[in-house]
Amino acid sequence: MDTGSWAVVASAVGSAFLASLVEVVEAFTIILAVGTLRGWRPAVVGTLIALAVLGLLIVLLGPLINLVPLPVLQLVIGMLLLVFGLGWLRKAILRAAGIIPFHDEEAIFASETTRLAEVARHHTSLDWIAGLTAFKAVLLEGLEVVFIVLAVGAGRALLWPAAVGALAACAGILCVGAIIHRPLARVPENSLKFGVGVMLSAFGLFWTGEGIGVSWPGRDLALLAFIGLFLSVSLAALSLVRRKSMVAL
Amino acid sequence: MNILGDVAKELLAMFLADARLTLSILILVAIAAMLVDWLHVSPLLGGGLLVVGTVLILVEAVVRETNRSES
Repeated sequence: MDTGSWAVVASAVGSAFLASLVEVVEAFTIILAVGTLRGWRPAVVGTLIALAVLGLLIVLLGPLINLVPLPVLQLVIGMLLLVFGLGWLRKAILRAAGIIPFHDEEAIFASETTRLAEVARHHTSLDWIAGLTAFKAVLLEGLEVVFIVLAVGAGRALLWPAAVGALAACAGILCVGAIIHRPLARVPENSLKFGVGVMLSAFGLFWTGEGIGVSWPGRDLALLAFIGLFLSVSLAALSLVRRKSMVAL
Repeated sequence: MNILGDVAKELLAMFLADARLTLSILILVAIAAMLVDWLHVSPLLGGGLLVVGTVLILVEAVVRETNRSES
């Protein structure tokens, strides 16, 4: 494998790992709220059922993706990655500049616990609602992970490496969560989103170009150049927006 | 709890959080593809257009949201 191909593999695994880290932290907060308030049985059952649904999605969609001609696949997935990646990047820049609020795991944990306690006052059996809450959290956060794994993996038959990256993130967060037993509020979520946004946008640009027939100079190494480009532009945009909001104050 | 509704909402939010950004990307890719496929412009020029276009779309989306929050 040449340096360029290693760059693609490393970027695919890296983006799947980092994106999963962000999503798993968000899902873990809800699972923890359910487990703390209602015991671990509904939390674990809800989580396992959601993971089974997500696994089924990958098993069903994975082979279907192989039936699509490569240029069409690269174009469609490239466009979706651009939309998704630039969206994450835009939000991360605005959060870092203080234009929109940060994602607060402690606050989400508190509000979810309050909501479940409120529901408990009106229902004698809360277990299924608690299980459903954990199920929904894992399913909704997991959808983004499934999309990212399929998207960064499908263009170059990298589904397995990308899936390993995502699973490593899940295992890591679950281990840390089980040890500290509280919301993972210190994970630098916005910086991770910033990094993932940069990588997904670079992948999106790379696949979209290949999909319309562009042979990028430097071939696979162009991906690294795109990562550098989106990183510098995003940092410049962040500094511009920060200056602008300081002038406005 | 309407799980299917929430899943649909989540999927929409994944790609339509900023409708103008999404639309701009789709238009940019369509223009680049048309230039390369129909007008037989060099694919590298099409690629260059994609690079410049995506960067401009990102900066515009960030500046637009900043201006909106200030007004």
